[in-house]
Amino acid sequence: MENKKNHAGPLMIALQHDDLFDLNSVSTNTELPKGRAFTFIKAVQTVNERLVEQNKNESLLFEVILITKECSEDVKMKIVESVKHYDLEIGKFYFCKKEELKNTLQSNKVKLFLSTDRDDVHEALHSGISAALLYDQADHRVLKQLKVIFSGDVLGFSEDSLESYLEFELSEKQIETVKAAKICVKEFAVLIGQMRRRFGPENSPICICVLTTWGSRNVCASALKTLREWGLDVDEAFCLAGAPAHPILSIVNPHILWDGGFHNMRDLATLS
Amino acid sequence: MSSIKRLKILEAPADTKQTRGLDVVTVTAFAAVMPPENKHGQVGGKRLILHPLLGNKSTSSLWERRIMQAKIGKENLPKPQNAITIAVSSRALFNMDLEQDIYEQQGMEDYLNYQIQHEMEPFAPGPAFPFIKAVEAVNTRLRELYPDSEELFDVVLMTSNHAHVGLRLINSINHHQLFLERFCMTGGNSPIGYLKAYHTNLYLSADSLKVREAIEAGIAAATVFSPGKITEVPETQLRVAFDGDAVLFSDESERIYKAHGLDKFFEHEKAHENKPLDHGPLKGFLEALGKLQQKFYAKGQRLDCPIRTYLVTARSAASSGTRALKTLRSWGLETDEALFLAGAPKGPMLEKIRPHIFFDDQMFHVEGAAELGTVAAHVPYGIAQKIPPKKDGKKDTSARQLE
Repeated sequence: MENKKNHAGPLMIALQHDDLFDLNSVSTNTELPKGRAFTFIKAVQTVNERLVEQNKNESLLFEVILITKECSEDVKMKIVESVKHYDLEIGKFYFCKKEELKNTLQSNKVKLFLSTDRDDVHEALHSGISAALLYDQADHRVLKQLKVIFSGDVLGFSEDSLESYLEFELSEKQIETVKAAKICVKEFAVLIGQMRRRFGPENSPICICVLTTWGSRNVCASALKTLREWGLDVDEAFCLAGAPAHPILSIVNPHILWDGGFHNMRDLATLS
Repeated sequence: MSSIKRLKILEAPADTKQTRGLDVVTVTAFAAVMPPENKHGQVGGKRLILHPLLGNKSTSSLWERRIMQAKIGKENLPKPQNAITIAVSSRALFNMDLEQDIYEQQGMEDYLNYQIQHEMEPFAPGPAFPFIKAVEAVNTRLRELYPDSEELFDVVLMTSNHAHVGLRLINSINHHQLFLERFCMTGGNSPIGYLKAYHTNLYLSADSLKVREAIEAGIAAATVFSPGKITEVPETQLRVAFDGDAVLFSDESERIYKAHGLDKFFEHEKAHENKPLDHGPLKGFLEALGKLQQKFYAKGQRLDCPIRTYLVTARSAASSGTRALKTLRSWGLETDEALFLAGAPKGPMLEKIRPHIFFDDQMFHVEGAAELGTVAAHVPYGIAQKIPPKKDGKKDTSARQLE
């Protein structure tokens, strides 16, 4: 148990600066106005606080790094200043070109890349980066809990259940992408699972959800079993069997929505 | 869908230049032909028959055929806004008494551990189980008559249990062969928001607190109680019995009875015979049942309609009953049978009717019905309730129930 804690190390997450700060609005202040990723960052900091409360020497904490595409020195300064101003725990800053993104993420052992832009996420998944959607929370209240949704449709995938995915008219290539995404997210899932286990079923600062939008209940069961094998206990589970996802999502109100790009492929209006 | 055999695909040998994946060199299995009895396996009215594929065929056409085959026979669930959605909690659907005791006496951790250890043991049926089975039987008949319609029942499992219990619940659903594909396991959170998101027409739960929350939010809901003894109920006809006042109708007349006594009540009802009563929490559900009944009538199935409704009221036929019937008529609704008991106990009458569920706002009647073997559900609405609705949103101090 002791060894596990020491070897775990931080759970690295990458954000883009234009999600953290709102670059479009003009302001005369030195700091940039808050962007859509704010509630996420605050929730992550709450988790870290709770983890440290339990164990001063906890090494398995969230560490957020900020990725910024090339921009002027001026903007770079503003970003650094703003991070300081809002007292955000940002580990590192990277100013890099788009093509360098993958290498930057890999060299920093980033387990999850987050963006509010679906296309960004989809592109990242295609180049083999573990990525997820930073959900645009309608409600900007800062929750005392980090909520993560995993897609049961993707996690519950197995060769046995292949038939049930064919109704969605996915091409073979898309099926392969689904399989790859499942493998890709495992590292993140294992680490956050270890974090989750530091807390009991009640009053936890992390809430893990599985959302199956099209798969059957057995696909959902398969997803739950897979996550359990990876050491990740699920708190909430939803199986929609084709019902619109948006009403459910707005109640769950997650920070992170991981679906392996499944919904982009499917072009489901249900998630809009 | 289970009647369709799977295609056997052989992996491409290592020396082909094609990309990895599901490229096929040879397929020797025979693709299934649709059995003639499968009424649902119609694609646009035509039957699809596939032939064995031999030799090198392009993978895309094989893939496309597999896609077509996968779509055949798949009964898509209706969209929530088109269907009559019945949300049922896990303790209403299944018998979880033992586990509930563990939760109350030993706490959450022991409860969850117990559930996980017994994951492969399906739960026994709970009080709402026969009702749900009968609802599914109605759906089967509706699909036969109207294969493209979305006006069906849609059953959703709405539980505040954690997903740790999920596998045991799913195993139980599989074991009992229920058509339940939609569920919400809210991990301890209130289900009210989700009930609204599913456009729930009726919510059945074993937890009276959640039911009250639902009623206050305008959702038809009732607390289900287990009957004292097992009664056999019909499998092919769904029977639903309703009390009148404070269930189908508002509690306005009950208020008069409580405040001024029986005589004043009779006087008042006689005087206002032609004035329809205001509607109660379950009027909408009766209406929904009526719509489905019309669909059967339209196909000439009035006599053996698989849905039958009953009004079981303490009003008397001679006097106060008239207003009840006239109210229903003014709403364009009717029940198949109306029983005016003039204050006599409801239990024995219900025992004869054998409904799958009986809704009443008074615990006295609910208990009386349950004693004699009817699944009775309490609708916590109106003046008859002993506990008034929460006014200041204070947190309820009683043990939070997981179901």
